[in-house]
Amino acid sequence: MSADLTPVLGESRALEACRAAVDGARAAGADEAEAFLTGRAGSWTRFAEDRISQPQDITEWQLMVRASVGGRSARIATTDLAAAREAGARAATRARVLTEVAGPLPVLPAPAAAPALPPLGADVLWAEDTAGWDVGARVGTARTAMAAARAAGGSAFGVLGQAVGEVAVVTADGSTRYAAGTEALGSLTVRVGDGTSHWVDLDRRLGVLAVDAAVATTVEEAVRGQGRRELPAGRYDVVFGPLATGGLLEGFESFGFSGDAVADGVGAVATRQGERVAPASVDVADDPRARRGLPFPFDLEGTPSSRVPLLDHGVVGGAVTDRASAARAGLAATGHAHIAREETPHPTPSSLTMAAGDASTAELLAGVERGVYVQRLWYLRVVDPVATTLTGGSRDACFLVEDGRLAGALAPARFTESVFGALSRVDAIGRDVLAQPLPNVWNGAVTAPAVRVRGFRFGPHGSPPPTPTPTPTPARG
Amino acid sequence: MSADAHGWGGLDDGTARQVLEEALAAASGPGVSFADVRLVEAEEERLYTDSRGELDERREHNAGLGVRVLLDGAWGFASGPLDGPDAVRAVARRAVAVAASSSGLARVVLPPREPSSGTWSVPVEVDPFAVDAAERHGLLQRVVAAASAPAEVRSVTAGLNAKRQHKHYADTEGARQHQHLVETGAMLLAVAADGSGAQRRSFPNSFHGNTAAGGWEYVLGLGLEAQAARVGEEAVALLRAPQAPGGTADVVIGPAQMALQIHESVGHALELDRILGDETNFAGRSWVQPEDIGTLRYGSPAVTVVADPTVAGTRGSFAWDDEGTPARRQPLIEEGVLRQVLSSRDSAARYGSEPTGAARADGWGYLPVCFATNVYLEPGEGSLDALLDRMGDGYLVDDNRSWSIDDRRMAFQFGTEAAWEVRGGKRGRLLKGFSYGGLTPQFWGSVEAVAGPEEFRAFGMPCGKGEPKQWGFLGHGAAPTLFRGIATGVAG
Repeated sequence: MSADLTPVLGESRALEACRAAVDGARAAGADEAEAFLTGRAGSWTRFAEDRISQPQDITEWQLMVRASVGGRSARIATTDLAAAREAGARAATRARVLTEVAGPLPVLPAPAAAPALPPLGADVLWAEDTAGWDVGARVGTARTAMAAARAAGGSAFGVLGQAVGEVAVVTADGSTRYAAGTEALGSLTVRVGDGTSHWVDLDRRLGVLAVDAAVATTVEEAVRGQGRRELPAGRYDVVFGPLATGGLLEGFESFGFSGDAVADGVGAVATRQGERVAPASVDVADDPRARRGLPFPFDLEGTPSSRVPLLDHGVVGGAVTDRASAARAGLAATGHAHIAREETPHPTPSSLTMAAGDASTAELLAGVERGVYVQRLWYLRVVDPVATTLTGGSRDACFLVEDGRLAGALAPARFTESVFGALSRVDAIGRDVLAQPLPNVWNGAVTAPAVRVRGFRFGPHGSPPPTPTPTPTPARG
Repeated sequence: MSADAHGWGGLDDGTARQVLEEALAAASGPGVSFADVRLVEAEEERLYTDSRGELDERREHNAGLGVRVLLDGAWGFASGPLDGPDAVRAVARRAVAVAASSSGLARVVLPPREPSSGTWSVPVEVDPFAVDAAERHGLLQRVVAAASAPAEVRSVTAGLNAKRQHKHYADTEGARQHQHLVETGAMLLAVAADGSGAQRRSFPNSFHGNTAAGGWEYVLGLGLEAQAARVGEEAVALLRAPQAPGGTADVVIGPAQMALQIHESVGHALELDRILGDETNFAGRSWVQPEDIGTLRYGSPAVTVVADPTVAGTRGSFAWDDEGTPARRQPLIEEGVLRQVLSSRDSAARYGSEPTGAARADGWGYLPVCFATNVYLEPGEGSLDALLDRMGDGYLVDDNRSWSIDDRRMAFQFGTEAAWEVRGGKRGRLLKGFSYGGLTPQFWGSVEAVAGPEEFRAFGMPCGKGEPKQWGFLGHGAAPTLFRGIATGVAG
């Protein structure tokens, strides 16, 4: 590992804290206990117009221990690792109180065993180029971007970041897990007149991001995006860039692809599993082991994180689970435990991926006689989880497409559309992908290619229900 | 007031003062024109139960510090947990090192400020952390049972939360501040489903429930048990309710939805860092321009919006913001005209104004940015019934279901969980799938009247902003508000 960036706690100290917490819980009478520790040391260089506006160096960690007594469990979390054993004891005490006030709870049967998966290699999780991307290097790149935008008559805004994240787990059966990975993030918006363009990419390897090329392209697109006109409401053939496609996928969690939804009998997996909703070329999964994005080998419960097909070549597939939801729904544990601020713990997709095709962007555009290119979507919210309907808008670098080529620039436009409906009308998929962060998800990323969608409606009025059984169409250039 | 509500934690005042001074000393040096330190100890409790009878209970404690320095006109920020005797100096040195590596571009100049020092505490009657487990879980179980009664209710989740913080602040200008913050909240969500689809109802607010600055007395005052059966029944009723029609209509929007409307189309739009372009890459910009301040017509004469952290009881209530600026009441929009914006020291310095005290950070770990404080629509007069009578025919809507607004905070589309037809001023049948949309100035320009103070409700909510993204916690409130001729049914 590079001397420029190391895990903030390291394997020995992180596991020691987890073990102390578990030991404390057991000593205080817990029937069972487990603990995890998440840590991240990150450094981000934020810039705006002519300033390094927010340079930040943030170190965070949290130890969380769960103790169970009589089938009831309680969690205690702390940043004070010297008090790890006490945290475990407090968790056991609170669990005992829960049993006293609410009665014992039958212990759920263990979920089906997770498949044995090989460990992720060190080269998958750790990249020396990311570890060496220090403040000085990032400031230099930011200055280059600001200068390039200024030379084009505009301004640049963005963030360049480097981090190392680590997770340690001591499980109820006494086994231990630890892994650490680098993270490189680049994000840039360039404004020239009323033209804007945006880029973001995320990976464990800095080299994958191709930052210098992205700066040049983003400036060029902003220049080209000037003179925006309003897009009349209507149905268009649309080429979504990789970032826009990724945005469409962010709503998948709400559509019923979790063990909790299956247990409740609601959502896509519970009611439509096996149904074809998109052509076979549309392959969406949650894949924590995919090399692109932020691969990680296990979740916060220590369960190996496995690939879960969500739309398996266009067919509604399975659900992501944590141990509890897997047991409730009668599914295998897939390693998708998630505990976030202001939320109930629940399983969630954290590594959304859509399989790339073989078309270049030019080839995707070539198949559009008159339509729209959308680089980035904005403020997407689920309107109807059953119909998989989202509302949101286009944001940066939108263009009219005429005779297979980018024509005039377009102003952002609102839409309300079914995601399954849109995916059912995908007839070509790009070969280049970009990854972007999944908000509020530890280690979360969504990685997607560009897609071409027929008949996507822009405008203030809603879309029809998704096409029930589309005819599969092979991807074409 | 419960003395115990503030008498907790591992950092006594003497230790905290030592940490602050040690950090400031380590952050000072040649070229450093300003430094500030935030030392925060926080503890949060969350407990949830659901219709399966399972309980999830967790308590999280963290303590750490964030140090910000201005070195040769360049900012640097570092943060970390309190971890051993060298941690404080190490964080401060990292902040200086970051600033040293980030210098050389446009220089930041902060106008000097008179320091403000003191101690302030949120009034608390009953410490939420001291409430007996049997009482807390008994309440949740009764609430879930009531909401789960109809057969079509597939899932119910009810939860309680509480958070307490000791916030210590010091800067090189001489400010020394200590705030004790306590907040308490609750949530209830019921989902009903049948062959036709799924519908949800929630209480007291659809987005994470509601959390107030205060103690357990806030939860007791909600009447959760009394509301639970209605929530479950309305979720089921929505399954069979007619679809709300689209078109143009007069609409009375209830306080919970109004709080979100204010947040999205006023609060965010008036953050000066957005107006100046700092958030262009992520959170977006604003349709408001710096030169608009003082003259722009933002809404009708019935619209007066105030930022006032000194009003007690919401997540946007405090005595100093997170860079030490004293809280004060400030009209943002007066009778429809924009008068002020929400600013931090950095953004105000660049605009050439006094900061309004809206620099907020998520605990100790993150850099303060402009977040709304306690921003609310001033009430008018009269009851909800009087407002419906004034409207005549239209809709009464409340509780958010979906929300989206463009990056300039101009064009938006919101859906609500519930809508009632109103005919001749009387509330009629329940409708599902109601949505409305518009453009910010036209929308606020269509406000005809706001109900009186007796109908006012405030809501505390989380909000995301910044890179890396952080949570802000703030307050918004309103009384039911009558809009004339707005676009409805836009969500299909």
